[in-house]
This record gives sequence, structure tokens and C-alpha cells, in this order.
Amino acid sequence: MKKMLPESELARDERFVRSKIEDRIFDPRGPKLATRNTGPAMMATDRPAAAERSRSLMHGIFVGEIQALEGAGRTCFDFDDDEAPFQLKLDMARQCWDESRHCEISIKLGDHLGTEIGEYTESTFLYAAACNPDPVMRLTGVNRALEGLAIDVFNTMREFGKESTDPVLEFCEDWMLADEVTHVKMGSDWLRRLTEKDPERRERALEFQRTVDKIFNLGGFRGEQEENPVQLARRFRELAGFTDEENDSLSKLAAESTEEARQMSELLAGNN
Amino acid sequence: MAARVHVSPEQFTLIPYDANEIASIAEDVAALIGFPPNVDIEIEVDEELFAPLTGHMSDVIDGAARIWISGANFEDKKAPQHFSPEQARDDLIVALLRAKDRLSDGFDGASSDADITRAERAAWDASVNGRARELGVRVREQALRYEFRLQHGFTDVGDAAFDRLFAADSVTWEGLREICRETGAVDRPASKVPVDLLRQK
Repeated sequence: MKKMLPESELARDERFVRSKIEDRIFDPRGPKLATRNTGPAMMATDRPAAAERSRSLMHGIFVGEIQALEGAGRTCFDFDDDEAPFQLKLDMARQCWDESRHCEISIKLGDHLGTEIGEYTESTFLYAAACNPDPVMRLTGVNRALEGLAIDVFNTMREFGKESTDPVLEFCEDWMLADEVTHVKMGSDWLRRLTEKDPERRERALEFQRTVDKIFNLGGFRGEQEENPVQLARRFRELAGFTDEENDSLSKLAAESTEEARQMSELLAGNN
Repeated sequence: MAARVHVSPEQFTLIPYDANEIASIAEDVAALIGFPPNVDIEIEVDEELFAPLTGHMSDVIDGAARIWISGANFEDKKAPQHFSPEQARDDLIVALLRAKDRLSDGFDGASSDADITRAERAAWDASVNGRARELGVRVREQALRYEFRLQHGFTDVGDAAFDRLFAADSVTWEGLREICRETGAVDRPASKVPVDLLRQK
């Protein structure tokens, strides 16, 4: 079996349609829309197109779970034991089991919300972050940055379930959220253990995490302001082992991303 | 004979939609649902909106049906920025069925779409989509049920109300309001966000 599988070779059946993130970034409607008030960014029942937005996000979560499964699975296989200890691979195998369960739960939640597999396109940039050839970098990018994002997304959906009095959504998101906390914790523990005697490597890994975090702030997608659809879940991040300092730093990074996206939209709108 | 369907903008500049194609689909839809032939239909497509920002509004003003619709409703979800004739047909059937309701006696005194509550709209959509299904529209019942639940609650009473609306041959404005009383939606706090926010520029 091939090691280091590129995202272009991910296996999907005919229901899935791949999209490129640049198609959305360069969509000519984006800058126009960015200057309009389309309602509160946070998920809420009185938000315009609330149901369609939640279906679209749920589909995004579902394909994200598939890619998280693929990422953790690749980590079990891509590295020899001298690069990644067997115990780490066991943790990744356990995470695969969690991600598989999340895929199934997400499919059922999709049914509950009224969508189906393949209704929306899939972007594989999450998996791309799981292709780093250094196991420490990969673990930091995936288990701390991406699984940290998953904590924020699941908590946002859980809150939406609560606000809309939807017991199914609230319950499912709560359980998946608990898993994500353990995934982040595994990432933090392995980062510490694998770089115990190599502070430079640890710093490189943390820098990689900040890069991934910045990408996945997605120009204002995540943050602590009302205009951010996904809110930073500080409490659950603390439980996962993030320090206050790290949460503050991420919050600052998210605010910068939001501001950069705003400036970019104004610039593009001015050019059109 | 002057066309009775008018689509704006006449020329799309952000996405490759064709106003004539949309008008042609609307003509076919009007014939299919038995829309009164003496009533003009004006369709305004907001080409700046994209998925998932869907939405449409149907009013009757000065004797003409005025449809406002998000460009996202006509967009092929699997090929963003591309027009989906099938999706356009399905959504125009629903939008024009609501306009047709407004022309009937049962909707005398109905609020305009900008003043309707989200719960009233969800109830109306359930009814219209039930009838659209009879006309061959690919209706996603569970998606509609979820939209109804968001506004009427995740309860057995709400689900039973949805089932009745979805199966009904017709509905009246007073009937929709009665459903809102039955599910308790009328007691919910008023929406802080205008229901026609997406339409506002």
C-alpha cells in the first residue's frame, strides 16, 4: 500500500463532488455579498436561511469527519515505529474508531436535517493539512489545530441544537464534542513526549499549528465576535489542555483573520 | 402579444443565468399549476446571493404577482455558479403556488411576505410543498419538516400539524394562523431579525 497518499487520490464514490477552495474565494459574488447584512453570523432559528445553512454546515462536518478518519488512518500506516511510536499509532487507531462513529452520526444528523450525502460539494483542504511528512507536525496540525476547530464547530452546533430545542442535534453534538476533547489532548500529550528533548522541533510544530489555525479561521469563519459563525469554545479547549495563553493567542489570530477578510472584501468590492 | 412574465435583471453580470430561460421556465410552471392567465408575473432574481443563502418571497401587488428569489435557489449545488433548470423549475412552482394562494379568497387579509412571521411562513411552505409534490416536484419532506420544527418546535404536536399541512389539498390564511396557535409558535418571542433581510440591500 502506498505511503503518503496525496489528497487527489482519496477514494470517493460517485455521490461525492470535489470542489476547489479557490472557486469560492474567487466567486465574483463574494465581495458583493460581503458588503451586505445577511443577518447574524451565529447559528440561530431566526437567522435567514437557518435550515439551509445548518444543512450545508452539517454536510461540511460530515466530509470533515471522513477526512479526519483518513488523516488518522494514514498516521497509523505512513510512519515506521522509529518515527512514530507504536503507542501513538494505537491512539490514532482509537481515533479512527471515533471518527468512523462521527461519520455515521453525521450521516444520521444529515438525514435528520433533511440533506443527503453529496448534496453539497466536498473540499479536501482539511485532509491536505494531514499530509505533513513529519509525524510531529502532522499530529500538531491535525490533533491540535483541526481537532481544536472541531471542538469549536461541535460546540457551536450543540448551542444551536439547544437554542432550537432540537434534542437530537444537541445530544449528538455533545457526545462528539467529548471525543474531540480527547483527540486534542492526545495531540498535546504526544507533542510534549516526542519533542521532550528537541525544543526547536516543538517550536516548529507549534508554528505549523499556528499556520493551520490561521488557515482554518477561514477569513472570519471562527472567532469570538458576533460576526463569526463558529465561536471559540474556550471552556472545552481548556478541558483539552489548551492554556489561557494559547486560547488568547488563537482569539487574537482569529480577530486578525476577520479583519483581513473584511479589508479584502472592501478592496474587492471597490474594484468591481 | 406582450409576455406576461418579466424577469429582472434582464442581463446577469455576476453569474451566467439567462433571464429568457428563467422566463420560459416560469411560463411552463404557470401553465402547469393553473396560474390565472390574466395575472402578470414579475420575477426579481438577486444574483449576489449564493448557496446556502436561499429564500424567496411571493406577493401580489397592484394585481401582479411579484416574486423575489435568491440566485442561490437556481444554483446547482454540485456545480456552484451554474444554473440548474430543474432546481429553478421546482422553486418557481412553490413560489407561484404561494402567489396563487394569495389570489384566492382564503388569503384575503394575509400579511405581505415582509410582515409574515417565520412560523406562518414555515406552515405555508409545508402546505405548498405538499401540493407541489402532487405536481411532480422533488420535494424533500424531511428538510421541510426540519424547517417547520425550527419554528414550531420539536414536538409531537408540531409534527402532527406538519403532517396535516403537507397532506392538505388547500389551505387558508386563517388556517395557517390556527396552526401557529396550536403548536404554540405564536407565543414564541418575535424574531429579532427581519424576515426579508436577505432581500434588503
